[in-house]
Amino acid sequence: MSVVVAQEKKPLIRFDIKKCAFCKICELSCSKYHYKKFGDSISRITIIRKGPLMFKCHICTRCEKRFCITACPTKALSYKGGNIVVDPKLCNSCGDCVKACPFHGIRLHPETKLPLICDLCDGDPSCVKDCPKGALSLVWLPEVRK
Amino acid sequence: MMKYSGYKGKVLAINLTTKKTSSIEITDEFARKYLGGNGFAVRYIFDMVDPRMDAFDATNVVAMMTGPFQGINSPTAGKYYMATKSPLTNGYFDSVSGGFIGAQIKYAGYDGFLITGKADKPTYLFVEDGKVEFRPAEKLWGRLTGETQEMIKEEVGDPNLCVSAIGPAGENLVRYACVITEYRAAGRGGVGAVLGSKKLKAVAVRGSGTNEVADPEAYEAWMQWYKEEAKKVPGLAVGLPTYGTPALVASIGKMLGAMGSYNHKTEFFQNWENISGERLKKEFWDKDTACPACPIACSKVFSAKSGKWKGAISEGPEYETIYSLGSMCGIDDLGAIIKGDSLCDEWGMDTVSYGVAVSFIMEAYEKQLITRENTDGVEFKFGNDDAMIAYIEKTAKREGIGNLIAEGSLRAARVIGGGSERFAIQVKGLEIPGHSARALRGMSLGYATATRGGSHHDPRPTGEYAGASDRKAVEGKAAWVIGTQQMTTIGDSLVNCHFLERLLGFTLTQKWVDMINPVTGFGYTLEELTTVAERILDLERSFNVRTGIRRKDDTLPRRFLEEPIPEGPSQGMHTDEPTLNRMLDEFYVIKGWDPKTGIPTKEKLIRMGLEDVADRLAKEGISC
Ligand code: SF4
Ligand code: SF4
Ligand code: SF4
Repeated sequence: MSVVVAQEKKPLIRFDIKKCAFCKICELSCSKYHYKKFGDSISRITIIRKGPLMFKCHICTRCEKRFCITACPTKALSYKGGNIVVDPKLCNSCGDCVKACPFHGIRLHPETKLPLICDLCDGDPSCVKDCPKGALSLVWLPEVRK
Repeated sequence: MMKYSGYKGKVLAINLTTKKTSSIEITDEFARKYLGGNGFAVRYIFDMVDPRMDAFDATNVVAMMTGPFQGINSPTAGKYYMATKSPLTNGYFDSVSGGFIGAQIKYAGYDGFLITGKADKPTYLFVEDGKVEFRPAEKLWGRLTGETQEMIKEEVGDPNLCVSAIGPAGENLVRYACVITEYRAAGRGGVGAVLGSKKLKAVAVRGSGTNEVADPEAYEAWMQWYKEEAKKVPGLAVGLPTYGTPALVASIGKMLGAMGSYNHKTEFFQNWENISGERLKKEFWDKDTACPACPIACSKVFSAKSGKWKGAISEGPEYETIYSLGSMCGIDDLGAIIKGDSLCDEWGMDTVSYGVAVSFIMEAYEKQLITRENTDGVEFKFGNDDAMIAYIEKTAKREGIGNLIAEGSLRAARVIGGGSERFAIQVKGLEIPGHSARALRGMSLGYATATRGGSHHDPRPTGEYAGASDRKAVEGKAAWVIGTQQMTTIGDSLVNCHFLERLLGFTLTQKWVDMINPVTGFGYTLEELTTVAERILDLERSFNVRTGIRRKDDTLPRRFLEEPIPEGPSQGMHTDEPTLNRMLDEFYVIKGWDPKTGIPTKEKLIRMGLEDVADRLAKEGISC
């Protein structure tokens, strides 16, 4: 049975396809915030372009189903404070969470092999701040809880 | 490990004949001396390519380079650089394009690639981190650039993969065939044709590494400075983001009357309003797009919502294409221009050279130097948008008179004869873009002396438009032009966009230095940076003089030297031969090139730290 818990809200990075210019500044901003380096392979957000007008944003949506948590064989993932949190001691880098997320919201860090999942940058999303086109925004939606 | 940041410390040499690769080390000294992109490429090409060989010879090299800025989030760093000996000009030629592939080359662990040899079968390269694969491309051969990129992404299984590809125009050695990445072109000079001659259909790159800056704090401070200051520059804050380069149709076409039309019979296009940036934005705009890392987002997707060319869609056209496919061909239907823009990208050829070559054919047809018999019955008249569109494919396939258009206007003029060379709008074989050689004195001298010939990215017109240099003045113009050429050379070595000139200076300034030092850690002074630029330009010139280029080639089409602009706000303007010669004399003296021949002097080359180049020229009997 699922109920809407009105008081609890979940964060969402909303993507406006009409405004996005495919500059990938969000990706570089994300990698810089977390690692002080620039690289799309260590970004938790990815913008994909297919055709002149078709843009997609791959990022954790904090979906109600938490496919990633269910898929994880070592119970390394949990949901805390609006984020999927990885326990590096439990994670065995199998990549099952990567495959399970239908939103392509997870990739493994190329060196540590730990899942990279949007953590909202301590509550002040770097990508949202740096997007020059205002295509990203942080919104809070009512949470549906099991 | 290198002392300086922004470099991976190695360039990969790729031989398509032997299918072997080898790595060339970039030393600290080399990086400081040549900076990246343009500087790296010209040094390697000077050392590796015999300038007298045909551009399509297997020994020609295509450099695909990055500078220290690729892969970081510095505004306009989302580019990559290509260079080769051009099949159009026979000289050193480079072309800069937007595309995340520059960043991926860095992330894969390289500063660039040097591609040589000739594959026995159609091939594409897949580079991933340290690994290079020569993959078969038979099923990609003959395909358009868009589907080629898609098919490679599918084969690799990565929708985010960066692919640079040539189209059928490159395969068929159209002399101005380009390289397309996403929707952007390394457009000019025929780099795509050289790749075609090597049977290389595409290069795909993916890397899991990173790039860093030398001084993160100073870098952050510079980024903040940029954000604040860019807001105050109208072009960067409003003009380019809102309209993109098509905004220039009103300012250049209408206000200045300096937008070449009807193959430069005039420079005032009566119907300028029909092809204006304002109209494009209002009636055709779908969305803004950007090169990676660029907050300006000057690029736009436009589509025709009604009219004869309804459904045509393209990222672009840029101002240059509105000029070449539009006013030059006497075409004022933006739908046709959008259609032509996307077809040129898909078939893989430079819109500027194609449009200007077509307008040349249209004038030759008007003058009855060619007739319907030569054009398969097509009325090759100014304003015939069907012909302009239809001949994109025919040119790519070299069918009928498309075979002549594919050679570019200079070679076409030599075939057609009848004095038509007079109105072939080119310098050193490269078609001149939409910045007037007659209404801007700096561009008269700039085109005449540019390494690439008719390119507005060697000298820049922007400073004269902005009034930073009096567009009519002769006095002091040589120094101004040299300054703009130094600036673009540094821009092309960082592999950044020249639009930064509006903020950092039309010529090299301390502001350029202040952008470079936090990233690289060079601690350059303005003087050292200027020397870097001069060194690179002298190398380019030295390559070109070894192909036989001399002062006599530093000139303009006869039409420009002899016919003033006939009407409009710039009526009466042009640079005649004596005036050009006066400016040239001054130019060579400041450069330290021999005024009689245009060859860099031994003293100058030695001053630039190019002793070996001076020796090489002397050995070949070219010294002066
Ligand atoms: S920073 Fe903004 S405009 Fe640029 S790609 Fe990301 S979402 Fe799109
Ligand atoms: S990572 Fe994917 S599956 Fe997990 S919560 Fe986010 S969107 Fe859902
Ligand atoms: S909110 Fe932070 S962690 Fe999440 S994608 Fe944006 S920059 Fe990355």
